[in-house]
Amino acid sequence: MSVGWLKSLTRPTAATGALLVGGWLVVALLSHVLAPYDPFHSMLPLMSPGAPAPDGGTFWLGTDSLGRDVLSRLIYGARTVVVVATVATVTAYLVGISTGLLAGYFRGRVDILLSFFANVILSFPVLVLYIVIIVALGASAANVVLAVTFGSAPAIFRIVRAITIDLRGRDFIAAAVTQGESTWRILLVEILPNSSGALIVDFCLRLGYSAITMGVLGFLGLGLPPPTPDWGGMVNERRTLAFAFPHLVLFPCLALSSLVLGLSLLADGLRQPAARVRRVA
Amino acid sequence: MTAVSALSGGVSRWLLRKLLGMVLTMLAVSFLVFAVLELNVDDVAVKVLGQFSTADQRHAWLVENGYTAPFLLRYVRWLWEFMTGHWGTSTYYREDILTLIAPRLAASGLLAGAALLVIVPTGLVMGIIAGVREGSVIDRLVSVFAIVTTSVPEFASAVFLTALFVFWLGWLPGVSTMADGFHLRELVLPVCVLTLYSAGYVARMTRSSMVEVMQSPYIRTARLKGNPMRRVIVRHALRNALVTPVTVIMLQIPWLLSGVIVVEVFFAYQGFGTLLYQAALNTDIYLIEACTMVSVVVVVLTQVASDLLYAWLNPRMSIRGAAKAGAE
Amino acid sequence: MQRRLSHRCIWPYPMSEPPSALKRSRGALLQLKALRNNDGSEPHPAARDLVHDALRRGTDRRRVLRVLSWLGVSAVSARAVLGLPNPKYAQMPLQAARPAVTPRSGGTLRFVCAIQQMTDPALTTWIEASNLFRNSVEFLTYVDSDNITHPYLAESWHPSEDLKTWDFKLRDAVKWSNGDRFTVDDVIFNIRRWIAPASKSANRTTFAAITGVEALDELRFRLYLSRPLCSLPEQLYAYTCPILHRRFEEQGANWPRNPIGTGPFQLADYHVSRLAVFKRRRDYWGPPAYLDEIRYADLGTELATHVAALAAGQVDALYRVTITELDLVRRFPNMQLLTEPCAQTLVMRMKQDQKPYDDVRVRRAVMLSCDREQMLRLAYRNMGVLGEHHHVAPFHPDYFKLPPIERDVAEARRLLAQAGYPNGIDLTLSLGNTQGRYEQDTAQILQQNCADAGIRLSLQVLPAAEYWTVWDKVPFGMTYWAHRPLGIMALELAYRSGSAWNESHFTNARFDAALDAASGILDPRERSRAIGECERILQEQAVMVQAYFPKKFTVVSSRVRGFRADPQDYYRMDRVWLA
Repeated sequence: MSVGWLKSLTRPTAATGALLVGGWLVVALLSHVLAPYDPFHSMLPLMSPGAPAPDGGTFWLGTDSLGRDVLSRLIYGARTVVVVATVATVTAYLVGISTGLLAGYFRGRVDILLSFFANVILSFPVLVLYIVIIVALGASAANVVLAVTFGSAPAIFRIVRAITIDLRGRDFIAAAVTQGESTWRILLVEILPNSSGALIVDFCLRLGYSAITMGVLGFLGLGLPPPTPDWGGMVNERRTLAFAFPHLVLFPCLALSSLVLGLSLLADGLRQPAARVRRVA
Repeated sequence: MTAVSALSGGVSRWLLRKLLGMVLTMLAVSFLVFAVLELNVDDVAVKVLGQFSTADQRHAWLVENGYTAPFLLRYVRWLWEFMTGHWGTSTYYREDILTLIAPRLAASGLLAGAALLVIVPTGLVMGIIAGVREGSVIDRLVSVFAIVTTSVPEFASAVFLTALFVFWLGWLPGVSTMADGFHLRELVLPVCVLTLYSAGYVARMTRSSMVEVMQSPYIRTARLKGNPMRRVIVRHALRNALVTPVTVIMLQIPWLLSGVIVVEVFFAYQGFGTLLYQAALNTDIYLIEACTMVSVVVVVLTQVASDLLYAWLNPRMSIRGAAKAGAE
Repeated sequence: MQRRLSHRCIWPYPMSEPPSALKRSRGALLQLKALRNNDGSEPHPAARDLVHDALRRGTDRRRVLRVLSWLGVSAVSARAVLGLPNPKYAQMPLQAARPAVTPRSGGTLRFVCAIQQMTDPALTTWIEASNLFRNSVEFLTYVDSDNITHPYLAESWHPSEDLKTWDFKLRDAVKWSNGDRFTVDDVIFNIRRWIAPASKSANRTTFAAITGVEALDELRFRLYLSRPLCSLPEQLYAYTCPILHRRFEEQGANWPRNPIGTGPFQLADYHVSRLAVFKRRRDYWGPPAYLDEIRYADLGTELATHVAALAAGQVDALYRVTITELDLVRRFPNMQLLTEPCAQTLVMRMKQDQKPYDDVRVRRAVMLSCDREQMLRLAYRNMGVLGEHHHVAPFHPDYFKLPPIERDVAEARRLLAQAGYPNGIDLTLSLGNTQGRYEQDTAQILQQNCADAGIRLSLQVLPAAEYWTVWDKVPFGMTYWAHRPLGIMALELAYRSGSAWNESHFTNARFDAALDAASGILDPRERSRAIGECERILQEQAVMVQAYFPKKFTVVSSRVRGFRADPQDYYRMDRVWLA
């Protein structure tokens, strides 16, 4: 199985995707090294890309209306997006996987109850919850984590549940049961790795979705507090200036789109072997 | 159709179970929403009376409007009135909620309908062609288009399209409030933004599903038997291939109803999403509850519809199987 | 020449003047006789003295003009005597050069404005709502964009010498839209509502000095004040003071449902958050309005959307734009940007009774680390005037120039160490972006400024509607204050002990005493000297960080004429027309 994964990465789509995602990961990790200026420090407002900086350097991507270097904010923004989106998606996965495994394996009442909760969470107006939490606790990354969990956990639950139901009836599971393996071992060691194909694909897609959700929340005024550099927030803050100063909106959009694109390509590239595995087995 | 009629007994029982599930979900969600809003229930008075009201005025208003009664009592009272059709009055809009929601729902329905009218044919056609001609130039183009458009968030495409068509070219109006009655031009930009995002997604799903089906032994046999390509596609491949795209399309409907809030706020379109958003911002408890109940109903009904569509597309599957497939 | 001194007004002038000054102003003295009240009668004794001061001692003539208008002097005669030009509704700069154009009658103006719930105009807290009912109901006086008070429903007024008794004469031949005649009973009904002890209106605080009102005859009434209040006529144009029909409360106290008014337009339709329509009224007492209809549309809170609507020709006028939309607006030939200097401002106030803001050293540290120039430059592109942390603008008539407060990071650090925070302090500023994103930008600049002094400021951005629920509760909050025509009005509302809108809980007996003293003074110079005392106290106590007064902008389409931006956002639409 693992050989199949690595092999799939050499295919063009997956390779491009991995390159994009990996690139942004590196940027996020090395942000304090790569960024030429302090992203929170105001210098000269609304300089166009390529303009010279007062200390002799260049504002490669220009400055925003508060005089902060766009390139530096993009680089630090990568860190914000990567960290928050990853944490959010991982949380959603933890919730979704645990409930999905239980529901799919035990069926019966557990399944009915958990499916019902999934439906309830899916139908719950998350916007209402945010606003209450923002007022009570203030805006923070926790909101984004909550948003993504509410939005994605039910879907992940269903995927995992379906796969678990499918795998449950297989021979190797029956063998494990007769061998006396504990339920936890079966769930975590036998079932989960076998579903990793579809899940990893889904994970990549959901990371992209989380990054976009952060932007949407910023648009509605419910996002991360300023002056956190957040790509979606940067797009929305300067929306009206977009016409006169397109670089303010263009570069964060490109950054966000390229990351999501990379994740989609990666997901696509990894999907083929996964699909093939499922059909044969 | 014989398969369906044979299942009809099972279908009606299944429908009943679904409806029961819907009612239970509505109850649970409404209770949770009430509980969450309970945390800031006093804010309602401030939002209604304005920021310059005094504490006495606010307290008087709360007592007058029954917000100081115990939580459970208020919930049961609301539930009873909701079920008997008295949805109450919005504290923010000062209008009867039923007459407030109906036109907004219709407006969102209009936007969703217009968007679907464009998304479904475009996405399906692109996906089918790309799937049939796997590996060709068209396939590559469609895939690239699909992937790129699904990577650009709606607010970004809204900004760029507005900058292009409203400010630079001046071809289209910038707001879609429809204050002077219905104008088709005002729908163009919101629909464009929605289409860009969804059509690519639908196309991609259709394509991958089509590719899978075209490679299946059944289709290969049909082609080897000498059937013309078109007949093969229409009669045999489509039915199987459309299962996934149909799910995806049905999933777009609830999204088009309340997830398009970005588009609605950006273009000032008076739809259902902005209604819930305003209600949430202004702690308009009864309006929030009413909107949420409507959303739940829409979500469940689309699920039911998609499961039924499955059964129709794939008579070999039982309704249960369809539901299981739909869960993926 | 004998000069009569009023009892309460402080007049420290010498009794005799050097002869040379007298000679110079002889021509002006002859002109003084031309000074007349709105009803043609002789003006208040203080009026002549004021004009004298303006012409001889160089007191600012505009300030004098304003005070004269309070005293009931007709603005036209005052302008003539003082030598000030008449204002123009200058829209396109070229228009002033062209010969006077005849306004065209007819047309529908579409105005973008938030449409709030409104029942009782006297209780309204939204200025937008006041602009709506302003089309149909009118006020006793009218204050134009130059802050000069003119007669409106009151044809003229006479203050007594001690400024504690005011006689008003109402206009004749005014009819309500339901056919009733407008009489003094309507006015008495309204004034009694405002000052009633049970009144929930803001008017109760504004007119706390009014102790009684009585009708003298069918068209005249008298107001009795407990202390001299010279700016009374100007305050009668506040947005909560329209004159409603005497049977307003009997008929349910819900104006949109029963829209009776004396104004040039009639309410035709009203839907909260959606639209409102006003149609021209045929039997208006004054010259009929030019526009047939005004349609107000609520397009939400995204100002960019409003500009887009204007660009596409879907609307004709916007209520307000901020600095972020400026670049967009400048690119369109079919839009006119209108600006006015305005005393609106963002006040970052600290609660004096909450830790750590109860220590004046902490407050001063925050105040001293603020770089006002950078804030104005970056957050508002230098389109405004610098403030001095005391809420009185340099262009307010009662402004007093104090020695400038410069940014002093070293001093801020020292103060913090003294107060017990040698390693800096962590503070949180709450804000709601109620007027636009520039609030957030201003806060971010303050964040950077404070970081230099060791103050780690974090920002809590709430949705606008939420901010108004906590604006007076948060320890350190940024609140938007709308324009007030006089500095003293803002000081009264925000910093007098116990005032309902005193969000910082500032209580200082010296300050209150200084305010009391200032409100009775007529002479602009003395008045500003008294206000200077108030300013000094506010700065010493570091009550707030108030860095600049942003200009007010609004945008209308190029077809709109006769429209002028108003610093208070009060828009009268009867002289507006569409080309």
